[in-house]
Amino acid sequence: MDANDPQENRPQEGTPGGEGPQAPPPGPEGTPTEPMAEAPGPPPPPPPRRLLRSRESRVIGGVCGGLGRYFNVDPILFRIAAVALVLFGGAGVLIYVAGLLLLPSGDPGDAAAASNAQPDGRRRALTVAGVVVLLLVTWPFLLGGGFLVAGLLVPIAALAIAGVLVWWLVSGEGPSGDAPDIARRAALGVGVLFLCGLLAVGGAWAAAAGGGSIVAGLVIVAGLAILAGAFARPARWLILPAVVLAVSAGTVGAAGIVLDGGVGERDYRPTSASELRDRYELGMGEMDLDLTSVDLPPGDTAVEIDLGVGEARLTVPEDVCVAVDARVGIGESRVLGVGNEGVDVEVDDRPDAPARTSRLLIDADVGMGSLRVRDESDPSFRDGDSGLGDDGNRACLEAENG
Amino acid sequence: MGSADLPSVVAGVAVIALGVLLMLDAEGALDLSFALLAPVACAATGAILVASGLSRR
Repeated sequence: MDANDPQENRPQEGTPGGEGPQAPPPGPEGTPTEPMAEAPGPPPPPPPRRLLRSRESRVIGGVCGGLGRYFNVDPILFRIAAVALVLFGGAGVLIYVAGLLLLPSGDPGDAAAASNAQPDGRRRALTVAGVVVLLLVTWPFLLGGGFLVAGLLVPIAALAIAGVLVWWLVSGEGPSGDAPDIARRAALGVGVLFLCGLLAVGGAWAAAAGGGSIVAGLVIVAGLAILAGAFARPARWLILPAVVLAVSAGTVGAAGIVLDGGVGERDYRPTSASELRDRYELGMGEMDLDLTSVDLPPGDTAVEIDLGVGEARLTVPEDVCVAVDARVGIGESRVLGVGNEGVDVEVDDRPDAPARTSRLLIDADVGMGSLRVRDESDPSFRDGDSGLGDDGNRACLEAENG
Repeated sequence: MGSADLPSVVAGVAVIALGVLLMLDAEGALDLSFALLAPVACAATGAILVASGLSRR
């Protein structure tokens, strides 16, 4: 017998007062009382499902967690799809930002979430504005002409996410709350990023211009301040700028970038051995050194190349044996058809030359960029610059072969 | 020492170590290369992040 079945709770006809075991007691006039008043009614309808950003299952802003809960699937599926969309075209960034802006944060049964889900005027205006912005952003993609927009807006969206993450790292305030809170934290994070960028550029420039000791001293002082603050008043906000300054100056030091020698383009074409300098130096830019008009004397002739950032191109006579001792901090070297690239690139190729053969000793330091050495028979500098068509250090090879 | 902020202690030591490394390179006592800088910088950053994560638990 089902207590919820009204047919079964109804008193039997012709048995006032009820003779059956479940008959209700008689009323004042001898009529049975209304049994439906005491019986439990039908269960209330479940509350409507709302798409909310999850507070419990979140990695960044809870968008994927909320989607997983709404569709009753594992959120990891949405996270994988989001990462795939970020990697292939960048649409995942836009979609995620849309989720951050348009979906309220909360969990089912949460009173705050329920109030967030009720659109007041301000929230409705924000939602409409977000939808309009998203439509403006996405319609060029739909029409197939979104490269310009992608080149501008996807980086902006990525910057906003980076700002949220940076502010999370610096202040401990995660991407929770509504769109205005997230936008505020993104703006603060972008501001911190901007300041760190300025600090990185300034520190790198100072270190490259010869102020490496000063920058190192500033880093040590910042470290001491952070350490002292740990016992009095923590200064965690100082950690990120200090690390950024140290890494930027360290990169300059590891690459060996020195900006002595100026900035710009240099084109050297000495016509005789007497015009050949011992050292050619440039801080940042492009340097061409053409030695094809120089009649080098038998024996060794040394030339030193120092370039901070940029490209150094040397053209040597075909009948000269070339010995190279070069270092490239970050970049590539192409020396007589042999290429190397990456960080801490070193070239040490110093073949011997027999008597009465001219040997050019090249000692080159390039901080960041490329070093290219070719002989005059290699047209690569002019035609496509493959750098791979050279047939090696021919004069040394001929000398070695007798 | 018990009330010290752990992330700040770790970060302070790490930043000082990076600064000393830079100073040695600037003064010519050390030839800094990426083969040295990269692991040191990664270790410093990782130590700061681990300390920060431990302090939030």
